[in-house]
Amino acid sequence: MGNSRHLGLMLLAPAGIFVILFFLAPVVLTAVFGFTNMSTATGISGGAYVVSDSTMLALKERYGEQELAERLLRKSYVIDEAGLQAALEGGAARPTVEELREKYLGASFGSRREVERLLKKLYNRPAGIRQIKKIAAGFERSVVNVRYDTPEALLAAIEGYGITLTEAQKEALAEVSYTGWVFTAQNFKTMVELPDTWRTMANTLFYVFTTLILFNTGFALVLAIATHYMPDRPAGFFRSVWLLPRITPPVLYVLMWKWLAWDNGFLATILEPMGFAPRNWLLDTPANAWTFIILINGFVGASMGMLIFSSAIKAIPQPLFYASEVDGASRWQQIRHIILPQLRWPILFITSYQTLSLLTSFEYILLATNGGPGGATEVWALATYMKALNNYGGALQYGYGAAMSLVLVVIGVALSLVYLRMFNFKALTESPKIEQ
Amino acid sequence: MSGNYRKWPMVLFLGILTAPLILMYVYLFVDTVTNTPPGAVIPDEFTLEHWRFLKETLPGRPSIWLATWNTFLFATVTTLIVLAVSSAAGYSLSRLQLPARSFFLGGILVLHAFPTVTLLIAIFLILQMLGLYNTLIGVILVKISLELPFGIWIMKGFYDTVPWEIEMAGIQDGASRFQVWTMLVLPQVKPAILALGIISFLAGWSEFILPLVLAPGNDVQVLSVYLAALIADDNNFDMNLFKSVGLFYVLPVIVLFVFFQNKLMNIYSGGSKG
Repeated sequence: MGNSRHLGLMLLAPAGIFVILFFLAPVVLTAVFGFTNMSTATGISGGAYVVSDSTMLALKERYGEQELAERLLRKSYVIDEAGLQAALEGGAARPTVEELREKYLGASFGSRREVERLLKKLYNRPAGIRQIKKIAAGFERSVVNVRYDTPEALLAAIEGYGITLTEAQKEALAEVSYTGWVFTAQNFKTMVELPDTWRTMANTLFYVFTTLILFNTGFALVLAIATHYMPDRPAGFFRSVWLLPRITPPVLYVLMWKWLAWDNGFLATILEPMGFAPRNWLLDTPANAWTFIILINGFVGASMGMLIFSSAIKAIPQPLFYASEVDGASRWQQIRHIILPQLRWPILFITSYQTLSLLTSFEYILLATNGGPGGATEVWALATYMKALNNYGGALQYGYGAAMSLVLVVIGVALSLVYLRMFNFKALTESPKIEQ
Repeated sequence: MSGNYRKWPMVLFLGILTAPLILMYVYLFVDTVTNTPPGAVIPDEFTLEHWRFLKETLPGRPSIWLATWNTFLFATVTTLIVLAVSSAAGYSLSRLQLPARSFFLGGILVLHAFPTVTLLIAIFLILQMLGLYNTLIGVILVKISLELPFGIWIMKGFYDTVPWEIEMAGIQDGASRFQVWTMLVLPQVKPAILALGIISFLAGWSEFILPLVLAPGNDVQVLSVYLAALIADDNNFDMNLFKSVGLFYVLPVIVLFVFFQNKLMNIYSGGSKG
């Protein structure tokens, strides 16, 4: 049975490949991307070095190199071999070209007029003003909007046009002209400085704990206990109905809530005779928006706790209930002294797992209010999505979004590890019995 | 259930709490085949006009049948691969000698608890870099990878309950470990494969965020994205149409739910996420 070790790894390998590529790699890359300024502007593959209006603006603003920036944006004229060749091909007389090469090869000029003046002064001056203009245009050299793959190529091109730079200028230029993404810790500074961040965090904590306490554990307990005190048929019916929100696809589930809450939806229609003006109850005030967000998520969340608590209650020995009734216990006393103490672990389990899933899920909020009205219901996970992936405004900040996700990823990893300890891990990893 | 207390107050109490939910689901069905005059809640005419999307393509949307086919492909392929890969990996973790076995087990548990939706941005960028953005293959690969830890864990749990004696007898009779797995153990865990298959299919069919972010294009659109785009389009607001598309979308889910309700209840209480 010596080959069972290889068999084990072989059977595990496909899973390993999937998980490494699209699960572990994203975990690591979230951290990497979080430290970049990647965005739609920088692109996601490497960038190039470009002198353009915007990069030169950066050169002026960040390094005060006003003069250099203007100089680089201006066209320059260089008497070089390429230009001479172009002149020949464009029909200039050979002696004219030869004279230019002899006297002026390598000379550079700041404007076309200077070149034209030079051409007019030649011994073998070209015939006609049109010819002169044409030859002069052939010497036009500009780095503006040309993409260079390396900073050296850009600097060489600039120097080729007779502009000499100091070392400091070279460095500044290499930095501002790069259009690709770079590594930076700026995202985290921005995150701490923006007041939005703190508001989002407060929203998140409010959302997670309110939903968790009211529904995922509170209402789940109500459902489990109430169905416990019922005959089997109605109990089964209620459990199935409360499982529906979890089974229903989120898009449709939220649509049903929208039908309830929109301007001429069900609520508005039945409340109108009572004097409430029709309004979109989902989005009219932050308080109403929160109420719906918590209901929408809570109805889904409650089913999970309901099922777990129900099966825990079922595991309580029946004689305990009978005995307590003989002793004259009220229903409330049974709940307080028999049921709740048995549910301590299930409650802990639900609370810990649902904290993590509420913290990171944003699907229902995205579909219901999209963070509105005015950002009132924007939670951390939704803000992350908005920054990096929601191309409504067009400018996607992948780097900043990844940095925000990284916060959740770190919390996720930490809590997952804690939960792993909470399980009885040793029992779960008992070793195989065939090999010895 | 217990004792000498009266039952009806509990039924009434829960009935009142459950009424809004039932109301929403009843109106989901009713509104797809009726019209309701403005300002009323009771429909006054029967109509099939809200189901016109089955015959004609709605403005700006792909054909509903293309979206249905994409959804079916997405859910089925994901399910089949998840089943194959996790029944192999689950067996390996449950029964075979592995180097660093407890590391793998711990890893699977941590990944199972880990909230995958936080990885969306990195996954989006990876698919862009691989050239798999806006393809069904890309989003299928991602969905499989994120489902696997759950699948492997479930399968491992079921393999753990298969008696060792079956395998020992197989080995005794000269079968290899691989043969023992495929011919003796796999038939023992058929219920697990069925259950995991249903869960994966439902998860794939309902999935919204992944296709929304990774494959939003018209050619590869799935029903959830189709419906969300339809609702978000302010120019064509028609609640009854939305509900009809939604009902069409949810039909397979309802069928599976009706047939496998008890099975689903058991598994959902087995520690899936919510």
